[in-house]
Amino acid sequence: MDKLCLTRIRLPFTELKVTIFYIDHSMNRICLTLFATFFLAALKVASGGPEQAVVKILNFSQQPDWREPWRFSQVNQSSGSGFVIEGNRVMTNAHVVSWSKHILVQRYQDPQLYPAKIEFIGHDCDLAVLQVIDPAFFDGINPLTIGELPEVRSTVTTYGYPAGGQQISYTRGVISRIEMQRYSHIYNRSLLAVQTDAAINPGNSGGPALQDDRVVGVSFQGRPGLENAGFFIPPNIISHFLKDIEDGSYHGFPDAGIGITKLQNPAFRRSLGLSDDSTGARIDTLYQPFPETHKRLRPNDVLLEVSGQEVGSDGLVQHRGNRIHAAFLFDEIQHGESIELVIWREGARAEIKLPLFVNREDRISGLQYDEPPPYLIVGGLVFTELSADYLNSLGNNWHQQVESHTMYELLFRAHRDEESARSKPILLSKILKHPSNIDFGVRTRSILKSVNGHAIHSMQDLRNALSHNTGNFHLFSFLSGREEALGRNEADAANQELLQQYNIPAAQRL
Amino acid sequence: MTQYLTTVFLTLILLSATVLAGPLSQIRSFDAEKSLVEIEVTRTTYNYNIPWITGNTQTRKNGIVIAQNRILTTADGLSGQYLCRVRKGGQSRHYTAEILWIDYHTNIALFRVKEDAFWNGMRPVKLASKLPMSGDDLNVYRWRSGRIESRAAEIIRLFIGKSKTSYIRHISLAVSSEINAAGWAEVVIHKNQLIGLTSSGSDQRLNILPAPFIDFVLQGHEGNKAPGAAFFDFGWMDGKNPALLRSKSFQENGTGVVVTEIGKRGLSKNTLRSGDILFEIDGFSIDHDGKYIDPDFGRLSMDGLATRSRFAGEKIPMKIWRDGSEHTVEYKLPEADFRKSVIPEQCYDCPPEYLVAGGLVFQPLTGPLLRALGQNTPLLLEYYEAHPPIGERNGLVLLSMVLPDDYNRGYESARLLLVDQINGNSINCLRDVEIALKEADNGYHRIRFMKDESMIHMILDAKELPSATNRILERYQIPKQSFMKPLLNES
Repeated sequence: MDKLCLTRIRLPFTELKVTIFYIDHSMNRICLTLFATFFLAALKVASGGPEQAVVKILNFSQQPDWREPWRFSQVNQSSGSGFVIEGNRVMTNAHVVSWSKHILVQRYQDPQLYPAKIEFIGHDCDLAVLQVIDPAFFDGINPLTIGELPEVRSTVTTYGYPAGGQQISYTRGVISRIEMQRYSHIYNRSLLAVQTDAAINPGNSGGPALQDDRVVGVSFQGRPGLENAGFFIPPNIISHFLKDIEDGSYHGFPDAGIGITKLQNPAFRRSLGLSDDSTGARIDTLYQPFPETHKRLRPNDVLLEVSGQEVGSDGLVQHRGNRIHAAFLFDEIQHGESIELVIWREGARAEIKLPLFVNREDRISGLQYDEPPPYLIVGGLVFTELSADYLNSLGNNWHQQVESHTMYELLFRAHRDEESARSKPILLSKILKHPSNIDFGVRTRSILKSVNGHAIHSMQDLRNALSHNTGNFHLFSFLSGREEALGRNEADAANQELLQQYNIPAAQRL
Repeated sequence: MTQYLTTVFLTLILLSATVLAGPLSQIRSFDAEKSLVEIEVTRTTYNYNIPWITGNTQTRKNGIVIAQNRILTTADGLSGQYLCRVRKGGQSRHYTAEILWIDYHTNIALFRVKEDAFWNGMRPVKLASKLPMSGDDLNVYRWRSGRIESRAAEIIRLFIGKSKTSYIRHISLAVSSEINAAGWAEVVIHKNQLIGLTSSGSDQRLNILPAPFIDFVLQGHEGNKAPGAAFFDFGWMDGKNPALLRSKSFQENGTGVVVTEIGKRGLSKNTLRSGDILFEIDGFSIDHDGKYIDPDFGRLSMDGLATRSRFAGEKIPMKIWRDGSEHTVEYKLPEADFRKSVIPEQCYDCPPEYLVAGGLVFQPLTGPLLRALGQNTPLLLEYYEAHPPIGERNGLVLLSMVLPDDYNRGYESARLLLVDQINGNSINCLRDVEIALKEADNGYHRIRFMKDESMIHMILDAKELPSATNRILERYQIPKQSFMKPLLNES
């Protein structure tokens, strides 16, 4: 049975369904159409072709339960693809090895399974590199090298193990377009992606797209409703990831925190002292929390150049024959480095060096990995962070289950002040019923406003508000306007009973 | 606009005691053919997505003769009506009828028919002063294809429900019946008396606007006082949790609810505060579920006490617990008024407001507009609908769409953006837009949208605006640049 991970989140102006491809390993279908593929593969082995560097990856994973955060799902088995790169590493997609408990890799035409572990993982760019425990795994494999961004209309061949097959599969296609795409693994991030009509199916994820035996992409996602279209991660994103990990840790793709808008209205251009030509896009919004950006840029500054490339009035730049949104140039910069901008402000050009940093405050609006959700239980009330994962856990009709201010708190924090942008709203996830809380009159999924008179912006705030309380009651106030209370002593006693009753390892994980 | 004035005019007519006829003295056994009428309503319809477009539709509903020259029906479905005709049993002829009085909050309307011939043989029905609490000896009647249709009905329960056409709450009756597609003022009869009119129906359940409530409202208006429907403009939650009550030093005795939010409808912000424990209203003890024991109808939600025996403007005593002690306060019942809400829930008998400027279409954010957007409603608008900026603004204005033209080049995709300021002026209503656009800022109109919108800034050429607007109106065949209702203090 194909296992498709469907993520559906409704954002203010877009609604998107994305599919991440990986497939249940238990499927062992024999497909006649693979005969030709098998024959081709055999030929390649003899010639030492790139397929000898393409591996199959088995992942045994456990995902946390976002509503009852001390629990984990049963062990899932899924498979994907990967390929050997320099330094005895296997590159694959982050989503192929996410929430991993155990990873096995398998070489081309080799029945042996080799244990592996994640060395670096970049969820924002959906890439990971694995270490194989047994160095003999790499014997006789020529690592693949990373090439250049392919030309539109050029031909690529994708390699991988789609549909859980035992044999490698090759598909050939044409590069259809190159533009910014939402990366569905993280969901709240758009990076450059290459669209091809080569079939990219479940299980292809992590496999290479090759041109002249060089990697020009890593297969990673498709989009339901778009026929004959698959996407791969282009070389500049791969190279950014590999350069990032050179210092032994992965930081991620930095963010400038600016909203770039077209500047095509003649009156708007005139009001800024610009002629009615096609250069320069307007910075409409400065988001939070980006203090360095706020120091250097202002709303209605006009971006004339980014990294030396002229920005059109539609916000796009010319790059290797494509017109791509200028945001992709910001993604070339490493965390802590600066980008060079030429802006138009108050009738004159100005050069700005803008340092860029990874924004770690927006993690809750994207899908999260590696760390299970934090929680705190008091008197049977289970509090956790509001997150996109939490909303996903409510099922397809999650939109009907939460109040509109919940979505607002999650998605519009960056439009407000810096404190709001850094806050992590806390919600009442569950009530473990007990005589002491049986009449607690606030429904689950409500967001905390204050506890014992202290505003709550994080789990730490909640813990402090509870632990510093010396009164007889814990007083809870919610954004809905409702308030409630628990007897402090009764809550402590109830917690002990409930932890035992529900087999909960600890009252909190922050 | 004409419809709007007509309604006001007819309301004034109603308030003249000379127009209102008293009930007939002879009340006999119920004969549907002599009391039940079919009302044909022809009305203007509006498209909030294209606010200058109007259409019309024709619907049919039921009415019941309750006095000489007085036909009772529900207000639902009458908005925008400009031609109403009634037909009585056994006749194909229609008689022109006009609305004598209508109130969308209580969902009640009265019609009159000027032609005497219509009234020949008609027989009024008495409104029941009490409601049966249970039983299956009710009958639902309506006209269908020129014949009387009747179905048995059984009482499910009495409850306090939201008016079909307003946010006010009042006593309602739920009955089960096999009649289908009901909810259009079909009459419910018990022992020859009118129990009520259907206000909605689904899955064999009918909600009934009960006769005692109708009678109470009509009597209030016959007194020429023109009192409006009252509404408790505060939210509350159960006061069940002993810990919460103890934390407020309130002696737990099974009574009291906790007040949560005040003045969401823009009607009343005085008297009560968030956090108050409210345990008695108008002499009725309020239990911690928010229920009271009604001497006539049993255990009901306290929300119904605003309309049980009171009208807007009356003061109603409440006992509350605040800051550790008991207080008796007088809550002045506010009059339900859609226009006072930041986002009016309903806009009856009036075309949608809009203003076109340079191809930018501005509309006030209203309930009908949000419902017209349906599933395309942006999350931000859903948020503002649930959490209107009370105290900060009287209303919200939306840039609903842009009619593309070279004048507004670059803004073609802008839509459904909430306006914050124009030329530095805060925007609460379309008149604010109109006034702000008369004061250009250095040759430009600077539009600023709400800070949480996807786009914040927009600039237009001020000098070209009038000619561009005229050109766009002509190109898109828009008959008028704007339609705006009178302001609250002008009406």
